[in-house]
Amino acid sequence: MHRVSPWVVASLLLLGAGAYSETSWKGVRQAVPEISRKDLEPTLGQGVLLGILGGLRTVVADATWLRSYVFWERRDRAGCEALMKTACALDPRSRFFWENTGYAVGYDFAHWEIRRRGGYAKVAPDIQEGIFRRYAQLGLAIFEDGVEHTGGNSGILISAGQLAEIKLKDNLLAAAYYRRATQAKTVPWFAYFMCARTMWEAGQKKEAYEWYRTQWLGKLKKDEDGAPDDLERLRFMEDELKVPVQLRIPRQTWEK
Amino acid sequence: MNARLTRTSWIARITFLEAIRQRFFAFLLVLSAVMVVSSVSLRFMDFGHSELKFVADFAFGGMFLFGSVLALVMTAQLFFAEIENRTALTLLAKPLSRTEFLLGKFLGTWAVLGVFVFSIAFLQGVILWSRTQELIVLAAETGRVAPDFSVSGLASFAVLQWLRLGVVAAMVLMVSAVARTFLFTVIVGAMAIVAGQLQWLAQEALLKPSDASVVTKSLLWISSRVIPNLQQFNIGDTLVLDPTAISGAAVWSVVLSGLFYLVAFLALASLAFRRREI
Amino acid sequence: MSTSSAISVQGLTKDFRVGLRGIKLRAVDNLSLEIPRGQVFGLLGPNGCGKSTTLKIVLGLIPATSGSISILGSPSATSEARQRTGFLPEAPYFHKFLTGRELVQYCARLSGVPAEKVNEAVEASLELAAMTEAASRPIGTYSKGMLQRIGLAQAIVHDPELVILDEPTAGVDPVGSAAIGRMINAMRAKGKTIVLCSHLLGQVEQVCDRVAIMDRGRLVLEGRVDEVLAQRDRHVITVADLTPQARQAAEAALAAHGATVTSITHPRRSLEDLFRELVTGSRDA
Repeated sequence: MHRVSPWVVASLLLLGAGAYSETSWKGVRQAVPEISRKDLEPTLGQGVLLGILGGLRTVVADATWLRSYVFWERRDRAGCEALMKTACALDPRSRFFWENTGYAVGYDFAHWEIRRRGGYAKVAPDIQEGIFRRYAQLGLAIFEDGVEHTGGNSGILISAGQLAEIKLKDNLLAAAYYRRATQAKTVPWFAYFMCARTMWEAGQKKEAYEWYRTQWLGKLKKDEDGAPDDLERLRFMEDELKVPVQLRIPRQTWEK
Repeated sequence: MNARLTRTSWIARITFLEAIRQRFFAFLLVLSAVMVVSSVSLRFMDFGHSELKFVADFAFGGMFLFGSVLALVMTAQLFFAEIENRTALTLLAKPLSRTEFLLGKFLGTWAVLGVFVFSIAFLQGVILWSRTQELIVLAAETGRVAPDFSVSGLASFAVLQWLRLGVVAAMVLMVSAVARTFLFTVIVGAMAIVAGQLQWLAQEALLKPSDASVVTKSLLWISSRVIPNLQQFNIGDTLVLDPTAISGAAVWSVVLSGLFYLVAFLALASLAFRRREI
Repeated sequence: MSTSSAISVQGLTKDFRVGLRGIKLRAVDNLSLEIPRGQVFGLLGPNGCGKSTTLKIVLGLIPATSGSISILGSPSATSEARQRTGFLPEAPYFHKFLTGRELVQYCARLSGVPAEKVNEAVEASLELAAMTEAASRPIGTYSKGMLQRIGLAQAIVHDPELVILDEPTAGVDPVGSAAIGRMINAMRAKGKTIVLCSHLLGQVEQVCDRVAIMDRGRLVLEGRVDEVLAQRDRHVITVADLTPQARQAAEAALAAHGATVTSITHPRRSLEDLFRELVTGSRDA
């Protein structure tokens, strides 16, 4: 019987180990949010950094964030954005990085752009508006990324709603974000009111009232935080919409 | 078989005793421990991560960085010390095969790496537990949910890191078996570790459909087979802080993968060492 | 393979490839040698003559290019052969943190001494090497002579039939050197075969039964010490009694000067002189 060279056996062992590692990698990569990002491909530098750092990602993310402040002070858009996004990549589960990156892109960069073009006096209002809208869209894209990686953090959704409201002046879009925030695992008590308010201001008054009422009766009535304030706003809506008494929310014992 | 095990275990024992006495080992252990302990006082730098994650990350970083340096330098140093001091001459003139010698060196080194990893993991566990107790009290006062960490997850992570360092040590031993100098071994070993940490990029590229050339795909395929994917061992965040996000089967598959690589590299090292003239 | 020989070397050649172009350097050139059992055999030669290479091949540390070697009837470089062989390298180095006793125990276990017999074997070898008193101290505290002696102890702890000593007295003072010489004699008395490599020709002359001299990878001389050192073409005349005619003439001549011839024998030169005549010089020079 022809004897197989031990080198062949050892090499086959190595190739086999490599083949098996594909299977094991597929099993764990989904559990590592830093690695399983879909948008990592174009940012190969981030991939390299992630690969090399191993367990120090959080610490380096913090240091990177601190460094980004230097670029923020200088109004260096490219440097600031790169470092902030790197911090997000290194610690994608952190709400803080996503939220503040979204703020910087959605609010600050537009102003820096206008100043770079000569200031508010020189740049025409419609062009300014276009710049605000463009950066607001970019900011929203960052917020969406953050929501995906933080498992639907309500704080980021609220921030997205605010950006849509203030910069895009799109109340319906803002309402959609606030509504998503009310469906998150932990919901701030004011999210429901913000959703109803923006729907109301977008002209969907009846829909706003119906939705708000359902939420109040289902979840908020028992909540000490906002229940009295929310009921006050619902009463206002009932008055505005002239809702018949028998169809209104029954009077509460503690209501003044 | 008993005689082989006895000889191998004696080589391992003496290697362990030699390694544990080295100041380099003590220095890196103390440095890692300081890093873990200092994480609590550096909390002001924490930008909104879960505080336990921030604290845990220091230990993960220490195990990763200093553990890798230890595995690389100590394995090479323990091997070349035997060659340069010519103790290898004395030992290999005895009825000790080269495979037994190499295996003994590896096991002794791996045992020291185990002491390093489990010491840091234990310290990390104490720090995390202590901070968790404080956060539980704070959470009760503010009506929030108290954070927690998984002790079994921490133990699993420590085992994975120990296995990862074993793979690194086996790789370095393979390089040592053919290299002529300690410096060359350290440089090539360091490059191999970096390649191992980045190998996941090649595997990702292969998993995704692309229009890359046959040559590129072939190179990616070869590198993904030959270079171990060390990134798969870095799942400390998930194991310790969110253990439900990863299944036991996935963790076991990483363990198996590590063991396969270990055996393969040791086999190659043994074959290369047999041809080496002492 | 000769079973009466401790070491049998047949046609041994070893080439080393040197440099990028792989130029061949022939370290051992068609060496054939029989080292009989139960004797002290001196292997001599200038630096770079190939004796250390030969020993390494005998011990299986490097492979031969061609030729064969057997140790006590078994092919060399096998576990069986190495089990019956003890080796003390030149300028031995041992782990400094180990005590002498721990080192010998370690080597005993590696050499296959069963656990239940280790202590007895260790103490016996320490006693033979005169290291019993210092055995509990770390090796890092040992002098050069003590290092050599503990090296000897680890080489013989498993009671090997063949002991190879490479420069056992290098750097050792005369007292220590003499002690090692006595240990070698004690081992020979136990029936062991000792192969001794040394540059101290005076000691080799005293201790060895047979010698072989190598130069530039080749064997130039081999035989009993007495035989190789004797000069048969020369005579030493001790003036006492001569053949009648010569004696008469010599006597008459010497008597005229008041001398008496007491004996006529063959003259004997020193090993050092013979060594210098045969070899062409050290490669280190």
